[in-house]
Amino acid sequence: MFHWLEKNPFFFAVGVFLVIAYAGIVTILPDFMESARPLKGTKPYTVLQLAGRQVYIRNGCNTCHSQLIRPFKSETDRYGKYSLSGEYAYDRPFLWGSRRIGPDLHRVGNYRTTDWHENHMLNPQAVVPGSIMPKYGFMFKKSADLKTAYAEAYTVKKVFDVPYNQPGMPKLGTYDQAKKAAFIQAGKIVAGMKNQGVKDAYKNGDIKEIVALIAYLNGLK
Amino acid sequence: MQSSNAINYDYTVAKYFTVSAIVLGIVGMSVGVIIAFQLAFPELNNFFGEYGTFGRLRPIHTDGVAFGFTVSGIMATWYYIGQRVLKVSMAESKFLMFIGKLQFWLYIIVVAVAVVSLLMGETSSKEYAEFEWPVDIGIVIVWVLWGVSIFGLIGIRREKVLYISVWYYIATFLGVAMLYVFNNMEVPTYFVSGMGDWFHSVSMYAGSNDAMVQWWYGHNAVAFVFTVPIIAMIYYFLPKESGQPIFSYKLSLLSFWGLMFVYLWAGGHHLLYSTVPDWVQTMASIFSIILILPSWGSAINILLTMKGEWGQLKDNPLIKFYVLASTFYMLSTLEGPIQAIKSVNALAHFTDWIPGHVHDGTLGWVGFMIIGGIFHMAPRMFKREIFSKKLVEAQFWLQTTGIVMYFTSMWIAGITQGMMWRATDQYGNLAYSFIDTVEVLHPYWTLRAVGGSFYLIGVFMWAYNIYKTATSSKAIEKEPQYASPMA
Amino acid sequence: MDMEFIRNLQGWGYVSMIFFLTIGFYIYIYYLYKSQKGGKKDYEKYSDMALNDDIDDTLVEGKHPQENKKDNEER
Repeated sequence: MFHWLEKNPFFFAVGVFLVIAYAGIVTILPDFMESARPLKGTKPYTVLQLAGRQVYIRNGCNTCHSQLIRPFKSETDRYGKYSLSGEYAYDRPFLWGSRRIGPDLHRVGNYRTTDWHENHMLNPQAVVPGSIMPKYGFMFKKSADLKTAYAEAYTVKKVFDVPYNQPGMPKLGTYDQAKKAAFIQAGKIVAGMKNQGVKDAYKNGDIKEIVALIAYLNGLK
Repeated sequence: MQSSNAINYDYTVAKYFTVSAIVLGIVGMSVGVIIAFQLAFPELNNFFGEYGTFGRLRPIHTDGVAFGFTVSGIMATWYYIGQRVLKVSMAESKFLMFIGKLQFWLYIIVVAVAVVSLLMGETSSKEYAEFEWPVDIGIVIVWVLWGVSIFGLIGIRREKVLYISVWYYIATFLGVAMLYVFNNMEVPTYFVSGMGDWFHSVSMYAGSNDAMVQWWYGHNAVAFVFTVPIIAMIYYFLPKESGQPIFSYKLSLLSFWGLMFVYLWAGGHHLLYSTVPDWVQTMASIFSIILILPSWGSAINILLTMKGEWGQLKDNPLIKFYVLASTFYMLSTLEGPIQAIKSVNALAHFTDWIPGHVHDGTLGWVGFMIIGGIFHMAPRMFKREIFSKKLVEAQFWLQTTGIVMYFTSMWIAGITQGMMWRATDQYGNLAYSFIDTVEVLHPYWTLRAVGGSFYLIGVFMWAYNIYKTATSSKAIEKEPQYASPMA
Repeated sequence: MDMEFIRNLQGWGYVSMIFFLTIGFYIYIYYLYKSQKGGKKDYEKYSDMALNDDIDDTLVEGKHPQENKKDNEER
């Protein structure tokens, strides 16, 4: 029987496939439903936050910053309460990262302000001497992509039943409504910023990437 | 016997992929050296605006060496080894020749689109699966074409039994196909909502599930790109170059099944102390330890193949590459399980010890096998001697020095940072702020970048040597049976 | 079907599959060494597929019985 398998490439391939597929089925499937359940009080991202999250992803922030606080005293002292599975229920994709070249950001919204982020993104070394983070001045010039952010929110609502529009959850509505809501949210952040270019752009109906990113980071709690 | 004197092996496609392995190797590793220097000297981030930052470039490095250099190497060696151990020539089938060439050119197009899209920031953010959906579709097509080529060539083979290398190539094909498809399940947002960036997509899985699927993929992509096909290479190149039969062919079969079964369970060791279920973490930890057995089964089998023939190590630089490669394979397959022990992982996770571990596997094992394999193929593909033995020797020692510098500095950096993160003063408060633990790494990061540069210089030497071999080296009349001729 | 039942099913499936594969693996080891010893099948000669891989070299085990190296040379 074994030798037969060794010279029948088709059945050999089937055999190999069964052996390698088995582990995935056993490890991933059993708790799939449970792991997908949100924690009580966890809310999906607003459109502005999603736009900021996309900025975060596009610039590979996750290559240096983790978003996973492990249950050790040294980590909870430094970053806050350890992470729970349900908190990530609306994270598509997850952004845990694999290397902490910079500090963890899972609860950065608890201890950093709009003002701090503004200074830091423009010139990290001025805020944290010795920092090796790149300067992100271009985020003050590029406009946030609200359309793609809305497209993402709309998609997850439609395909994965993410509870937008439900009581106590962020409103989504049509694109125009979502845009209006994003401008209101952005207005509060812009009011806390100093950069004149960003303020002027906002007045002219344009939200810069940095505003969306700060909205996202402030929401990480 | 067939009277097939007129037929010769046709290495056209193997040559194509050899070129792409060299070119993409240089590209991927150059980016690697750049980002290594960026960590040591952060001003280097700011030269090209958003296109030159570490975060944008890192996926180009990782994907460039994994899916550029390594996959090209896999293809080049497959289109070489596949014909030879099945004793059938690509020239015997116009169809397979066409598929091979089509696969190559599509591959080049996909690589180009992938590099540009990553530079533009079109990324799914999942490690080693950063490509967005249009690139994913291209990759799947290229992969299916490779499958057609593998099974097509097997279909017209003369040798009935499949050599162990072919087993490993088949496993590579199946494993990557399964992993890649399931991890890249994503919904393009443009087609649902009708607006926004049409490249953009959103993952089918969320949060902890996404992490589970991703690291089931991430870990096993390492298995099926960096381990399985490389074992296929060494089981061919080492015996062939040394003229020694495999120490125990039976052991190679047993290790194969062992590796196939055990490897896939270990993915969860990337998620220890995370929010995935505890039993998954424990199981991953245990299976990681078990994984030493089949890995060392192969490695010891390979080293014992050289039994009584160690003199060749002195005379033949290619044997040096192969033997050091399997030694590094042993090292990293021991180091990995150690890092997967929960208490060790608590220290090592998120530190430089992890990239250190990855690189003694990739530079030492994967890189050396592809470089050494293509050196072996060159005289047979181009019917010329290897251009310079001295250059091969110099390259070997330079790269070995580079690897040692790389992993030693990363080990120290990783453990230092891990210890500093958890260090407390006499009152139980954290002893260091985060930036303290970054500044302390500067010398190690510099050393690492220099080590990486040594390796990169070695790759340039390899490229030059192969180029000269192909164009202006001394011609050979008869194909050498074992040791590759070199001047 | 409640969750408990599904969990039980998964548990049993997992255990029996591991059991089955382990037994299968040991039978395979036994088979390999038995057939080598009994002279039924010489696995070690398959190494020759790499060493004598010229297109005109003798096949280790051809698709047609008359091409077999074993039949031609050994026994």
